[in-house]
Amino acid sequence: MRSRRGIVTALLVACAILWLLPALWVLVTSLKPTANIIRVPPEWIPWPATLAHYGEVLFSSSRTARIGRAFLNSTIVSLGSVVVVLFASATTAYPLARMRFPGRDVIFALLVGSLMIPNAVLLVPQYILTQRLGWLSTYQGLIVPEAAMTFAFGVFLLRQFFLTLPTELEDAARIDGAGPWRIFTRIILPLSQPVLGALAIFAFRSAWNDFLWPLIAVNKPEMFPLPVALALLRSAYSSESYGPIMAGATLSALPLLIVFLVANRRIVEGVRVSGLKG
Amino acid sequence: MRRRGALTPYLFLLPGLALFAAFRLYPLLDGLRLSFTNARLGRAQYAFVGLANYGKLLEDTRFHVSLVNTAFYSIASTLPILAIPLVLAVALNRGMSLRTFLRGAFFFPFTLSVVTVGLTWLWLLDPVVGPLNYYLKSLGLPARSWLADPSTAMWAIILTSVWWVTGYYLVIYLAGLQDIPRELYEAAALDGAGGWRSFWAITLPLLRPVFLFVFVTHIIGSFQIFGQVFILTQGGPGDATRTVVQHLYETAFQNFFQFGSASAMAWVLFVVILVFSLLQFRLLRGHTQY
Repeated sequence: MRSRRGIVTALLVACAILWLLPALWVLVTSLKPTANIIRVPPEWIPWPATLAHYGEVLFSSSRTARIGRAFLNSTIVSLGSVVVVLFASATTAYPLARMRFPGRDVIFALLVGSLMIPNAVLLVPQYILTQRLGWLSTYQGLIVPEAAMTFAFGVFLLRQFFLTLPTELEDAARIDGAGPWRIFTRIILPLSQPVLGALAIFAFRSAWNDFLWPLIAVNKPEMFPLPVALALLRSAYSSESYGPIMAGATLSALPLLIVFLVANRRIVEGVRVSGLKG
Repeated sequence: MRRRGALTPYLFLLPGLALFAAFRLYPLLDGLRLSFTNARLGRAQYAFVGLANYGKLLEDTRFHVSLVNTAFYSIASTLPILAIPLVLAVALNRGMSLRTFLRGAFFFPFTLSVVTVGLTWLWLLDPVVGPLNYYLKSLGLPARSWLADPSTAMWAIILTSVWWVTGYYLVIYLAGLQDIPRELYEAAALDGAGGWRSFWAITLPLLRPVFLFVFVTHIIGSFQIFGQVFILTQGGPGDATRTVVQHLYETAFQNFFQFGSASAMAWVLFVVILVFSLLQFRLLRGHTQY
């Protein structure tokens, strides 16, 4: 029995290592001098190692290397989207969970139903709308639609959580003369920090990694977020120039890697609240 | 005072619903309207053309090919995407010291953007300098131009997707497995049921809602597949990996700028996804006790 368990563990470890190899290969490639990148047989230890590709994509002013700027763009768009999602989802979920009013159930049903709308289906009309607003190639043109994609999910997630909070706290605050906004900001939100955190990670990931919307909503290279900049870097470089591309890919993975390493313990918990009941 | 109280919920709802109405609801309906017009990029005036765009889709062989490819991708990727994470989750669901590391290793690719995933595999699958072909050759297996060969290109894209999402579904399955009460397994063990038996009699039936979730999420996602195709093959070789969204993207934003026609495609895709999702709910929910 013990040995069978040992075999399963060994198999799992082997699979996990196999699973990590492609990503490791990207990292290793990004650290090799150009001449060593295309060497056969493949070298898994980047020796001599160099940060030249990182320097090139971050600081070079050449036409194709705009990863540094794209990194900044992605950061602004993703953080902006997190703020909009948290604000809009929380203010919407609060009355849906804690108040009674005509139309509540219809509104909630509409929001849940909208989770079935595929993002790809909205591309053309969303493009036309963004163009009419004069928002093409702007931060708001990326932030607001990005936030709208996550909004309904956020309402759903937060409402579930708000429903579980005890009413006594609200009642006590009300007796002390607190209005709904005060109750919302001083009682509900502080108690909801873990779930707000999970939603923030979710919204950040989804904005940081989205590709299709920025691909069409941005046509000025200096406004490209990372995925678009990387995709176009791919077509601009010849197939031998993998170094800068892999450096860019590694850089783009860093922020989420850090978030998930820090929040690792919460991942299962977060997905558990979010995914299953969605 | 009473009046103000009655308005309160709506004041709270205002920002969220405005966002929702402007960027979800309105585009959905506007897309339907556009699908009956001959709208084009940059053309201020356009006319209603009835069902002409839908009629054209019936004759558009590239659209047919893209539908078939999308369906093939969705179906062929379903089994690995349902089964591999399940097997891993069941194996990982015993308390072991390496659990956190293992879960993290499988989950890691899911934190990457589709573009990064695409670029990673583009490099791995490179016919000349990619490591995959090198190792295949050294094992005496045939090396190929995986992405340039119509018979393997779609499989390469499926491989990429499986690598990308396995960790996500693994975590979902793990969460589902943890919701199954331990006592059920203990009772089954007392009745003499072995590992396999309790897997079939307890684990699988109780995981049904999780299956439903994974299945529906996967189908909704896979019918919209775009990023992997855009990076790895751009729809080629020929039209071998052309998917609906790739076709829609090109129709609307690359070659022809036909917004009307692209909107008709979008609505066909929407209806297909809707029908599939509802079917899945019916099929799987009919039997659950939840």
